[in-house]
Order: sequence, then C-alpha cells, then structure tokens
Amino acid sequence: MRTNKFGIRIATSALALAVSYGAHAVTDKDIMNDHKTPEDVVSYGMGTQGQRYSILEDLNTSNVQHLQPAWAFSFGSEKMRGQESQPLIKDGVMYVTASYSRVYAIDARTGEEIWQYDARLPDGIMPCCDVVNRGVALYDDKVIFGTLDAKLVALNKDTGKPMWIKKVADYQAGYAITAAPIVVKGKVITGVSGGEFGIVGKVEAYDANTGDVVWTRPTVEGHMGYVYKDGKKVENGISGGKAGVTWPGDMWKNGGAATWLGGTYDPDTDSLFFGTGNPAPWNSHLRPGDNLFSSSRLAIDPDDGSIKWHFQTTPHDGWDYDGVNELISFDLNENGKTIKAAATADRNGFFYVLNRENGDFIRGFPFVDKITWAEGLDPKTGRPIYTKGGRPGDPAAMEGSKGEVVVAQPAFLGGKNWMPMAYSQDTELFYVPSNEWSMDIWNEPVSYKKGAAFLGAGFTIKPANDDYIGVLRAMDPKTGKEVWRYENTAPLWGGVMTTAGNLVFTGTPEGYLKAFDAKTGEELYRFNTGSGVVGTPVTWTMDGEQYVSVASGWGGAVPLWGGEVAKVVKDFNQGGTVWTFKLPKDRVASK
Amino acid sequence: MKILSRILALLLLCQLGFAQEVDDGDPLLNRPADRTYDIILESGYLKVGVYENFPPYSYQVDGEPRGIDVEIGKRIAEEMGVEFRVHWIVPDENLGDDLRNNVWKGHYLAKRRLADVMMRVPYDKKYAYMQDSTGEYINEQVVLFGPYQQETWQIAFNPEKLDAVDTVAVFQYHPIGVEIDTLPDFYLSSGLQGRLRSQVRHYTNVREAFAAMRNGEVSAVMGMRAEIDHEMSRPENGDFQPASNGFPAIGKQVWDVGMAIKHTHRQLGYALEAIIGDLVKSGDLQSLFAQLDLRYSVPQYYREFLSEEALAKAAGEL
Repeated sequence: MRTNKFGIRIATSALALAVSYGAHAVTDKDIMNDHKTPEDVVSYGMGTQGQRYSILEDLNTSNVQHLQPAWAFSFGSEKMRGQESQPLIKDGVMYVTASYSRVYAIDARTGEEIWQYDARLPDGIMPCCDVVNRGVALYDDKVIFGTLDAKLVALNKDTGKPMWIKKVADYQAGYAITAAPIVVKGKVITGVSGGEFGIVGKVEAYDANTGDVVWTRPTVEGHMGYVYKDGKKVENGISGGKAGVTWPGDMWKNGGAATWLGGTYDPDTDSLFFGTGNPAPWNSHLRPGDNLFSSSRLAIDPDDGSIKWHFQTTPHDGWDYDGVNELISFDLNENGKTIKAAATADRNGFFYVLNRENGDFIRGFPFVDKITWAEGLDPKTGRPIYTKGGRPGDPAAMEGSKGEVVVAQPAFLGGKNWMPMAYSQDTELFYVPSNEWSMDIWNEPVSYKKGAAFLGAGFTIKPANDDYIGVLRAMDPKTGKEVWRYENTAPLWGGVMTTAGNLVFTGTPEGYLKAFDAKTGEELYRFNTGSGVVGTPVTWTMDGEQYVSVASGWGGAVPLWGGEVAKVVKDFNQGGTVWTFKLPKDRVASK
Repeated sequence: MKILSRILALLLLCQLGFAQEVDDGDPLLNRPADRTYDIILESGYLKVGVYENFPPYSYQVDGEPRGIDVEIGKRIAEEMGVEFRVHWIVPDENLGDDLRNNVWKGHYLAKRRLADVMMRVPYDKKYAYMQDSTGEYINEQVVLFGPYQQETWQIAFNPEKLDAVDTVAVFQYHPIGVEIDTLPDFYLSSGLQGRLRSQVRHYTNVREAFAAMRNGEVSAVMGMRAEIDHEMSRPENGDFQPASNGFPAIGKQVWDVGMAIKHTHRQLGYALEAIIGDLVKSGDLQSLFAQLDLRYSVPQYYREFLSEEALAKAAGEL
C-alpha cells in the first residue's frame, strides 16, 4: 500500500512541484476538526455536524462589497442540468463534482484543471432523480464520490485514477447516488437514491482504504441489517425489531424510505444522522400505519450501523414530504444550560429541535408562512396533528372522471428541499433557504403506465404569492421566531453558508451569489454568475486571503415540474461553472 | 461467483440488446435524426419502439426480439418494404415519460435515441387531449393512432387452493400476487375498504408472481389478460385456470392499445394507420395472437363503425 502510494507520488511529482501543492493525506482528525481549520474544507457541511459555519472573519459586513472574482472554471461539454455540488479544498486543490457523475481537481489558486474524471454510465440507465451530484468526500489520498449507477468510486487525489469502485445498489432496480458521502473513522458512509416504487432505503459503510463493505442498515422496518467481519456477513438485528408492525401486508418489502441526501455526524454523541424519504406506494390510503422508518431522521451507530433512535416528522406520509433534510447538531444554550441539540427544517414546513442524545422532541414550529396539512405539532411528542380533509384522496372512494382535488401547502417540493441550511454560532440563528408554494393534488384516472391503465396522481404546484416564491429566513431555534427574511422571485434551491464575519451567503436561480448581514438580513453583495446557483458556497483561507467558491448552473428538480412555477423559471439558462472569489489582502484592513 | 457471472452475462445481453439498434442521430449536435416517412423509406429500416423484458408483448430470447408487439412491428416494416429494427424502451414512471423519452424528445442521457414509432401506447382520446393547469395540451408533441388490440384485466388461480373465483372478495382469505405499482396492485390494496390489503403480495412482474403461485405463496395472480394467457400457456403453469370474475369499480376495465409517432411525422402515421387497419380487419392480427396462444379482442375503435360481419372477420370468427 505504502509503496504504491509512493509510486504515484513520484509519477506526479513534476505536476506537484509545478503547482506546489503538498501530498498531505486527509486524516480522520482533519475531518473531525474541519470546522476549526479554515485553511481547508474537507467535509460536506464544512464540518461533519453540517453547520456550514466558518470562523473566518477577514471577510465581513464592512468589506464584503470588495469581494471579487478570482477565477471561474467551466465543467465543459453539453452536460449541464443542475450543479448542486459543494466544493472541497485541501492543500491548494479544489475537488468539485458536476452533474452526470463528473469530478474535477482544480488548482485553487489559478483555476487550472489538474484532472477530470467522468464516470462511464451504462447504456439505458434511467436515474430516478435527475443527474445532479452534491460533492465528494476526501480521505487519505482518495477522492470518493457516488455515481448515478449507484457505485462508490475512490480516485487518487493526485491523478484522478480509480483506486477502487464498489457497487452500492443495482441501478436497474432503480437506485442511484447523488449525495456526497461522509467519512467517519476511516469508513465511507453513503445512502442511496431510489425511484418511487420497489426500492428499500439503506445506509452503508465501506472501508475507505479498500472499499470493502463494513455494515449495511436498511431503513425500512422488517429488513435485516448486517456487519461484515473477516469477509463474513453477520446478522446485526432487524430494523425496527420485526416486520409488519407499522405496515400492512407485505408492503414493508418495498417500503421506499430512500436515504438520498446523505447524512451528518456528531462526534459528541458518536452518531450518524441520516434522513429517509417517503414511503411507497405513493398513495397513503393503501398503507395505513406509520410506515417506519419513512420520512424520519435516524441516529445510527457508525461502528456497526445499529439504529440508536428515530424521529418521524411525517408519519404515514401522504404528501411526498420525505424526511431527508439534514439534521444539524448544535449546542442549545437555554436557561443557563447547554443542551446537545440538533435541528432540521423539514419538507413538511415544520422546523424541529431535537435532543441529539436520545431523539427527544424539544420543540417544533412552522418556518413557512402557511401549513395546511397539519394544524400543529403535539407539544410533547412532535407528532403532527393532521388537518381533517387535508390528506390526498383515497383511490377506492373516487367517482367520476377526476378524484377530489386536495390543496396542500407546502407543495411536495417542500418548505425546504435538499438545499442545506446553516447555523451561526455567533447569532445562534439558523439560516433556512425556503419556498412558499402549494399543490393541488388528485387521483388521475386517465393515466397509463407500461401499456396498461393506471391510477396516477395528478398535481400542480402553485406559488403562494404573486411576487416571490423563495424566502431566505433567519430562524431562532429558541423562540421559533423569524428574525429576518429575504424574499426572492424564483424558488431558492441552493445551500447556505454563514461566517464569523457576520455574513450569510447563498445563491439564487437568477444567477446571483448573494451575501447578507447575518443579524439584519440586509443584502450586502451580489454577483451574477451567468446561470442559476443551486450549489452550496464554501469559504477558506489561502496565502493569507479569504476565498469563497460556489458552483453555478441552473437545474435540479424545479425545472422538471411544469405549471405555474415554470412561468417564473422557464427563461433561466443552464450552465456549469465553479466561481471563486477572494477578498484582496489590502481590503482586509478596512475592517 | 455464480451470481457475478450471471450479472455479467445479463450486462452483456443488455449491451447486445442495445447494440442491435442503429444510432442514426446527429453526433455533432447530439440530437436524434428527424426521420420523416421519406427518410425512413430511403434508409431502408423502421425503428420500432417496444418495452424491454415485457412478455408476451416484447422481450428477448437468446438476444433476439420476440413477442406480439415485435411481430406486429415486423409485419408493418414488411408492408412498408423496409427492415425491422428494434428500439428497446426502459419504462419510466408513466406513459407521458415514455413518449417524451422515446418518441419526441429523447432521454437526457441518450438524446440521439428515438423510435420512429412506439408500440403498446393506449389509444384514448381523453388522454390524448389532456390539458395541464395552464390549459396547454400535455401530449401535443405526439400523435396517438392506430389501435390494434383491446386489453383487459384477468386473474389466474390455482384450483388446488380455490374452487373458483366468482368475485374478488375471495381474496380476503387467499393471497394474490400482483406486479408492484400497477392498477391491480392499487385496486386490490384499496378495494372493499381495504379488506384484501393484507393478502396482496407484490412482485417485480407477472412471471415472478406465477413462480410464487407454483410454490404456494399465492393462490392467484392478477395482471393483463395477455400476460396471464402467456404464462398459462407455459407447461409449468398448466395446472392453473383463468377466472371469470368481474372487476367492479376498477376504473378502467378495458382499453384500446395503439401506436404513437412524433406530431411532425403525420405522413408516417397515415401510412402505418392504413397498414395496421388492414391487419386488424383482415383477421391477420387475430391469427398472429392465436399463434402465440393469446386471446384477441378487436379494439372498441372498430366496433363503432365496422359491420357485424366485418367485426366477426377481424375477431377470427369467420
């Protein structure tokens, strides 16, 4: 192993010298300290807890107007369609993914390409959930990412050549990977994306060095988890204890609950936090029960994949709300005590504050202006109190040509979708990229699938307001109050970052990278990147200067849906660029 | 290792399957060829879109395309005086997706890949003229035409477990197999106030459901009539019987199946319509179905204007 690595170093030494980046390997310690080391970004979330908070303050509210582009890098080819990646930076090299399972290593000082890797996707592949990719993980000398054909690929960080490739799930059965993996204690941990039927979500750990599977944990009640010891597959308990408790018939066998957005890790409690998608089939009347562990957050032991606790945000989900949104660990300082808490802003429109040691519900509140499907949350358990008549219709009760139309708010694209929020340790606020929209939904009898009559759901998404859909909000986890808001014409679909410079960064589909005052929400900076921003910004320091980077390229799920939202976004052009900005040294003085 | 080699073989088969296809798209602009009627005749072949792994309609045996839709496609190509070329369709979530991916736009991962004509497209005026919430016609990019068969639902049962299936109510007490995420799945899972729900067993396709009936997991299987007929014609399923029950409140009991082309290729549509019309009316289609041990029903479309006698001829009764 060592000689091997050494050999590669020699082979690339000329290049290494030329751009003077070291050959330092990324260690577990580097990853665990990522939030404290602003000279690199070695994890998705700028720290495994996923706070997306930088301690850098060179760039701040008084000088952000001097932030200037340093370079822009094109992903090339015709493959555009949504750049949802978060770049990582280590030793002067940026590692960033693009749509269609592509990875790039770029000189972070000059924007010159070091290498590019294009995953060769099989013919006839039909990825369920668009072709986006959200980023890589770094470990040792490897750059690790997931592909649309549901593989994990480890590349040599200096050459971009594959070191191992492992199949996580069968793409022909409807699986894909679009999330960034997370590395904890030498293990690469990933979830899976899946189509709407026939799949079962899971979380799996692989040895980062060899790619050997270490454990697997299905996220639907009734399925057996396994650990692998010396190449042997050993049973490690059925998820939820046994089958058929919260599912009727054999539906648990294909229960859905895809773990498509990956997870975060909290070293304090030694827990992975993964969210799970909606249950299958889509129509909730076919599957009475809570349908565990769909639309939930799971705390998982990183050593063997056991489920420590779960919290289900939408039991018996009938609106496709999912429960995959990131759970961010933070210290909640309240009544003179510090609680190990975690927070998540769910697609269903509620913001949840949980005790991350045991999953207990602390409080929950709406973070969107209107929620129709539930009247509120049970103050003790956090379980939703369903609105009567708020559930999409029962196919058996359908009469005539069109089922009864139910209006639900938020729409299934969610009060907040995949795009990660950020938590500032200074303001103790969460910055939530959210959207105000509703959906009409009905059973559609004039529907066909694979040559046969079918019963599909018809739906249309409608903006809740005439002049804006997106709202970037500062939410106080102690009071549930919105401290400030910024309204955006198009739906927000990019991630958020906050810094000790009292700044909040995010992008808009109109193409802007924007910076706001973290305390007041005043917009302080905007730069148009030329295509919609649906990526997540990062910041780091290099050669004594603070940098900001964000991927630009309109796409993701919003343009896939027509109706009235399409009117707002139809003229946005696709793209594929990573933009890098810096605050020149001489501007820092103006602090 | 055995599994691995099987997977490899499967992958190889898949590649062969796609390798039979012609890539006549524009590599520079990465878009499909605009194959009008004249261009098709000139090229000497017709690309017929059929679903993959979908017996008895379209599937592969030893790398060769088989099935009723394949046979019809071959007959059409023959009548046009061109060669039959298969275009395999990986089904997406609904028909609209399949039409977009295979008839008018191309899938975003394979933009050069389009069929000249797609088979097994339900012929339904309501569907063809459906509008979205802003009033746009959802299917304006395609023409749905040429109904060639009427399809319906069917149950097969194991007479060792059940004396007969007079109504679906017996499936409160007997397990029944369905293909997951199909109308039979929804119908049985939601019908009779959900009383059948716990007896519904889900499989990836009808063939697997029949395997489950053979090993006693289920007492019956529900699917499309041709799928059921096809399975029952296989020797290992010889003991099973077709049921004669109705399907109250199923929504759509029968539907016509036809073809689809891109809306700018109407001349091709007219030619194909004439060919398929002759095949239906002459009774040739009925005998094609019979050769494959499948029952045939003349589409509703023809019943509205053909005489009793002409209909009897189409149904193979004369």
